Amino acid sequence: MNRTIEVSLTRAEGAIVRILGLIERRGFIVESIATRSDPHADSLVMHVDVASRGRPYDVLVRQIVRLLDVRHALLVEPQAAGQRLVC
Amino acid sequence: MKGAEALLEALRDRGVEVVFGYPGGAIMPLYDALLGSGIRHILVRHEQAAAFAADGYARVSGRPGVCIATSGPGATNLVTGIANAFLDSVPLVAITGQVATPLRGTDAFQEVDIFGITLPIVKHSYVVRHIEELPRIVHEAWDIAASGRPGPVLIDLPKNMAAGEAHGAARVLRPRLAPERADEADLARAAAMIAAAERPVLYAGGGIGIGRAIHAFRNFVAETGIPVVSTLKGLGAVPTDEPLFLGMLGMHGTRAANNAVQQSDLLIAVGARFDDRATGKLEGFAPDARVIHLDVDRAEIDKLRRADVALAGDLSQSLAAIGQGLRIAAWRRHCLRMKAQHAWRYDAPGDGIYAPELLRRLTTACDGEATIACDVGQHQMWVAQHCLIRRPERHLSSGGLGAMGYGLPAAIGAHFADPQRTSIAVSGDGSIMINIQELATLKRYGLPVKILLLDNQSLGMVRQWQELFFERRFSEVDLSDNPDFASVARSFGIDAMTVDRASQMDETVDALLNHAGPLFVHCRIDPAANVWPLVPPGHTNATMLEGSLQ
Repeated sequence: MNRTIEVSLTRAEGAIVRILGLIERRGFIVESIATRSDPHADSLVMHVDVASRGRPYDVLVRQIVRLLDVRHALLVEPQAAGQRLVC
Repeated sequence: MKGAEALLEALRDRGVEVVFGYPGGAIMPLYDALLGSGIRHILVRHEQAAAFAADGYARVSGRPGVCIATSGPGATNLVTGIANAFLDSVPLVAITGQVATPLRGTDAFQEVDIFGITLPIVKHSYVVRHIEELPRIVHEAWDIAASGRPGPVLIDLPKNMAAGEAHGAARVLRPRLAPERADEADLARAAAMIAAAERPVLYAGGGIGIGRAIHAFRNFVAETGIPVVSTLKGLGAVPTDEPLFLGMLGMHGTRAANNAVQQSDLLIAVGARFDDRATGKLEGFAPDARVIHLDVDRAEIDKLRRADVALAGDLSQSLAAIGQGLRIAAWRRHCLRMKAQHAWRYDAPGDGIYAPELLRRLTTACDGEATIACDVGQHQMWVAQHCLIRRPERHLSSGGLGAMGYGLPAAIGAHFADPQRTSIAVSGDGSIMINIQELATLKRYGLPVKILLLDNQSLGMVRQWQELFFERRFSEVDLSDNPDFASVARSFGIDAMTVDRASQMDETVDALLNHAGPLFVHCRIDPAANVWPLVPPGHTNATMLEGSLQ
């Protein structure tokens, strides 16, 4: 089952690539991405649909959280996933 | 003040006295500012060596090492060193020149996207876009490199940012880098689990040395009396002649260490990451053990082995909270009996030099006080198995990346971090050729670094694997056409000697520890010698192949 990870990140050079690259390098598949800006907080919020080949999602989230540009990251509860934008 | 001057001023503010690098076009403004800056620049002869030297400096000093290269090939030559620091959690600040901002993205001369190239192998990175940001970036980079789980930080510096005038400086903000503390309830659960254990084992990793938790770890060992095994990078967490130390675990670990882990009912992993070289086949690793995992990096918890209790945070604080006296005398006796039964033997037949015996003699003669910087291959494992290592920072080894060519430049960096301590590079005839040009650095600065080259005229570890696992089909491992290494060293102006008989071991040790100035010892060893024991690939650590001296 795919899961959605919500990431809030600082608008910094390379921040988006760093996150997406980490997800793929750690053995997960990026299925889709939706991003919106939060001009008040000078940040971006990403929702990334991710498929796993058996590796734990919670470990991936902790790996994302330790990136310096990331303000927070969390696994979206499956019942809330229908509300997300997908592009 | 120019941008380059602002950068150097920020480095000086952080106490930087020495940097390692190699100049070139785009980084020229920084090199111009280095003159008279009060920061000593060590000119290496290849940028990879600058990164490795800064790495060695950082491991010994406990403070970030700084390396500098120009744009394009200079920057890409740093990449192996940056990856090495990333995989071994070494604090490093790498500064690369970049083409001027108006030229970026035009495929200009010596333009590469080093920021993009290094994204997966840095803890963080910056492209300098405004001169005024430079002090903030340098201070942030320093703090990020050194804090929590350390790692490399890259600063890509366009030429016009270095050469331009700074008009004011952005406020320096210290990032949010306070260490975590483990949860009190988890600490209580861990303490209860330890109290109930009958066959506990401490699995010591490189995080103990990196996290400056050696004192707390040794106190914990003394209080609990739990037998200790260690990863390659954890060696020295307790002295390797400590009675409770069973040896390195894993692929080239001792039988006592691997058996103890396999038989344990509680594995306490401290600053270790369940690396495949340590665990063997993961599914069969410590099959009966519950796991307490202590690590400063929460992302390591549950990555490969689920922890029954996770203590994410400062290792010293966690260890102090869970120590206690235990009644495990029978288990301890069992472990020590295994250690005695499988003790190393050094009675190799013949009159040639048995490398493990030479390494043992060398490090016992100096009571483990020298810094040993390894290259990668069979000799790296012999160092790990047979050297007396009293502290992790006296054993520099490319653990995660396994980068041949690391040893000599790392030994150079170690010398600058601790000039009074003997610094010895132990290398092989494959590895030494990767960065042999650094003999010129020894000569230029008159560094009393010693080199012990164990020459088996082959890529020994690859040859060993071809012998054991590829039906003796030897492919591209023969190095019998090596140059005369002693002559090569002398051509750089380095004193050299060649030895090949067991009767020369004492004079070899004496020379390595007492020769004034740099010395290159070319030691010919048995080309057929293998590293034992060995856990074959795909097997658990319960399966160990052994050679004639095991």
